[in-house]
Amino acid sequence: MVESLFSGEFLALSGAAVAALAGIGSAIGVGVAGEAAAGVVSEDPNKFGQVLLLQALPGTQGIYGLLIAFLVMVKVGLLGGNGMIDLTMIQGAGIFAAAVPIGLVGIFSGIAQGKAAAAGIMLVGKKPSELAKGMLFAAMVETYAVLALLVSFLMLNSIQV
Amino acid sequence: MAVVEMRKLTVIGLNSGRTPFIHELMHLGVVEINSQEGVVNDEEWMPDIFRTSNSADVSRLEADIARVSTAIEAINRFDTQKKPLFQVREELVRKEFTEHMDRTKTETEMNVDAAVMSYKQITDGQNEVNRLKGIIAGLKPWESLDLPLQMKETEFSAVILGTVSSKTKFEDLLQRVLEKAPSAVVQQVSADVQQIYISIICLKEEREQVNEALREFAFNPISFAEQKGTPKEALKQYEIEIEEIQEKILANTRILSDLSAAKKNIEYLYDSLNMRRDRAKIVGDMLSTEMVFYFDGWMPKNAQAEVEELLNRFEFYYRITEPEVDEEIPVCLHNGGFSTPFEAVTHMYSLPSRNDIDPTKFLAPFYFIFFGMMLSDAAYGIIIAVGCWILLKKFKLEGMTYRMIKMFFYCGISTFMWGALFGGWFGDFFTVAAKTLFDTDFVIKPIWFDPLTEPMKLLIFSLILGAIHLFVGMGLQAYMSIRDGRPLDALFDIGLWYLLLIGLVLYGLGGSVGAAMVTVGKGMSIVGAVGILLTGGRNKKGIFGKITGGLGSLYGITGYLSDVLSYSRLLALGLATGVVAKVINTLGSLAGGGIKGAIVLLIAFVFGTIFNIAINALGAFVHSCRLQYVEFFGKFYTGGGRPFAPFERKTKYIKILKEEKNHG
Repeated sequence: MVESLFSGEFLALSGAAVAALAGIGSAIGVGVAGEAAAGVVSEDPNKFGQVLLLQALPGTQGIYGLLIAFLVMVKVGLLGGNGMIDLTMIQGAGIFAAAVPIGLVGIFSGIAQGKAAAAGIMLVGKKPSELAKGMLFAAMVETYAVLALLVSFLMLNSIQV
Repeated sequence: MAVVEMRKLTVIGLNSGRTPFIHELMHLGVVEINSQEGVVNDEEWMPDIFRTSNSADVSRLEADIARVSTAIEAINRFDTQKKPLFQVREELVRKEFTEHMDRTKTETEMNVDAAVMSYKQITDGQNEVNRLKGIIAGLKPWESLDLPLQMKETEFSAVILGTVSSKTKFEDLLQRVLEKAPSAVVQQVSADVQQIYISIICLKEEREQVNEALREFAFNPISFAEQKGTPKEALKQYEIEIEEIQEKILANTRILSDLSAAKKNIEYLYDSLNMRRDRAKIVGDMLSTEMVFYFDGWMPKNAQAEVEELLNRFEFYYRITEPEVDEEIPVCLHNGGFSTPFEAVTHMYSLPSRNDIDPTKFLAPFYFIFFGMMLSDAAYGIIIAVGCWILLKKFKLEGMTYRMIKMFFYCGISTFMWGALFGGWFGDFFTVAAKTLFDTDFVIKPIWFDPLTEPMKLLIFSLILGAIHLFVGMGLQAYMSIRDGRPLDALFDIGLWYLLLIGLVLYGLGGSVGAAMVTVGKGMSIVGAVGILLTGGRNKKGIFGKITGGLGSLYGITGYLSDVLSYSRLLALGLATGVVAKVINTLGSLAGGGIKGAIVLLIAFVFGTIFNIAINALGAFVHSCRLQYVEFFGKFYTGGGRPFAPFERKTKYIKILKEEKNHG
């Protein structure tokens, strides 16, 4: 029983799961931004489109997580027709490690980006012409999610199975 | 020059010619008038020079504008026609417009009144309906009571109506009341989740006892003094009233939707009033004496001829001068051809200040490349480019909207090119579709290479692009230093860094080309680093300051490292588009082949593609901007210029063409 927890296959799948956890950050971030957006729209319904753009920004972490999870699943043959391939424990652990950056960074950067996006939404509420700046503030946070995605991707890509 | 050269204009004219002159000046629309508020502070001059504020005229026109805009809003709300995606101004020549206004003005005024009136009746009606509905909700529980509501007592008996909480047991209450006042008749009229509605009739002399008993149950008396008749009758009456009001609302709605035919004229009136308001307002920015008026302002150099012609025609005194060195000049960008739409990117950041150069021309090609790389799907690129092209053809867009759409059109083309280079056509849709539906292998080969299999190659390419981008930015800083007569700054702050950075790259990577490269690189980096160490603190005072200054600037190398690494997002976002597309296609293929499989694949494909384009185009847009604003602008650009705001027709619905050809 315990051995199965350390089998390559299980570790690899855990990796996919960890990567997908980045969605937690996005969910919280988009939620926080959404609350702010609803507030602004209650004052001026015409700003709906603008604030929706800002609300969407913290959503990318979840997509990056999905992306790595998907690549893990493709790598271990889960999505092909032929079933999962056999993995050694080292390989599985490697895949797991590769998924950790985007999983962890995704959670925290998603939350932080959500707060920045919410502040950007407030900015648009007061000064609609400054939409681009509001978006930029949120995008500054996203940089670190992008870097984590890159690290995860490059690690995953270099693991031979 | 990409920043339009400005000239300062000073004018003194006769008051008699002011009104027609302001008309003509607005028609030209090329002169920005400075406010003269607080200019004349000299006690001696104050009594003779004044600003005619025209505020009575202005506020009268403002009120008119507010009324007309209410009318337009009201008509729009009940206009059943589909609204276009972009609002486009209708083009007219000046004579047509004035004639049209003369012909339709009276009728339009009447239509505006009608629209405002109807709108008011609709909103009043809706408020009234809400009020009545509130009353009805209050009466509903009493519906089964067959006493007239206003009746409080008869000759011998008293009527008490009220509620208790639904938690109260009615039996207890009944018992308690009867104990105290045996004559009372207690009835439960109705009950809902919160309350029990009770009516009590008792002898007048027992009223106090009843009240006493009721108090124990937290009884809440209710009075319907204003109502007439039994609850049933009152409810019926109110419902009839509501129906009447609803009919009135409907009639007014019809009036408004009929007025939508006259909407165009009302919009014309709106613009006409706006122009009149602006003309009245601008007088407040001028100085006057009894006979003459004075103003100064800015105009683009290339508009000088037509402004002079106008001033000569009115025989006004004027002077046109070059701006002084430390004067703040309003900024207007003018870039030709390909760069024009990218002015939107510069605008979103901040316009160049007096000392800046217009960055548009330099950021345009990089923006084009970066956006394409981050989206990098040939099919998406085609969709975006064609979509924007249709918008550009179908609507006569102006200003920033035009620039944005045109910019995305170019970015679509770039996306297409990069997509073709990297082999992305809806991700791997055609491969998946061929495999799932026809069981054949079909691959669109990338023209260059597939980033998914060779990510390191693209990462290095991205970083090289980034380095070029940064070097261009630094070069612009060097240019500005030399232009301002500080060539040493250019040499020390930029030249040495070029030496060090290129040297480091050669030292690190030149080995694959030849051993000599490494030696050269080593030498260059050492010279560069030592130079920076020595010159970095040259403006600081004292030995200590100079040493720390030098060390501080050499430490700046970490900044360059993080700047270059920031361009790795070009790879990451490009991969994101490709892999998300792949996820969609794989999901679609899970249902297998056959008709059912094809339908599932198609549905997943359509929704997935829309989602992917939306989310990743947003990402590409934001991150391309970021690379420009943070990495590129950080090297040379400060911004903070004030946009040129000429005195012109600020119309929303119409665009009055200049009869003769004028400057762009």
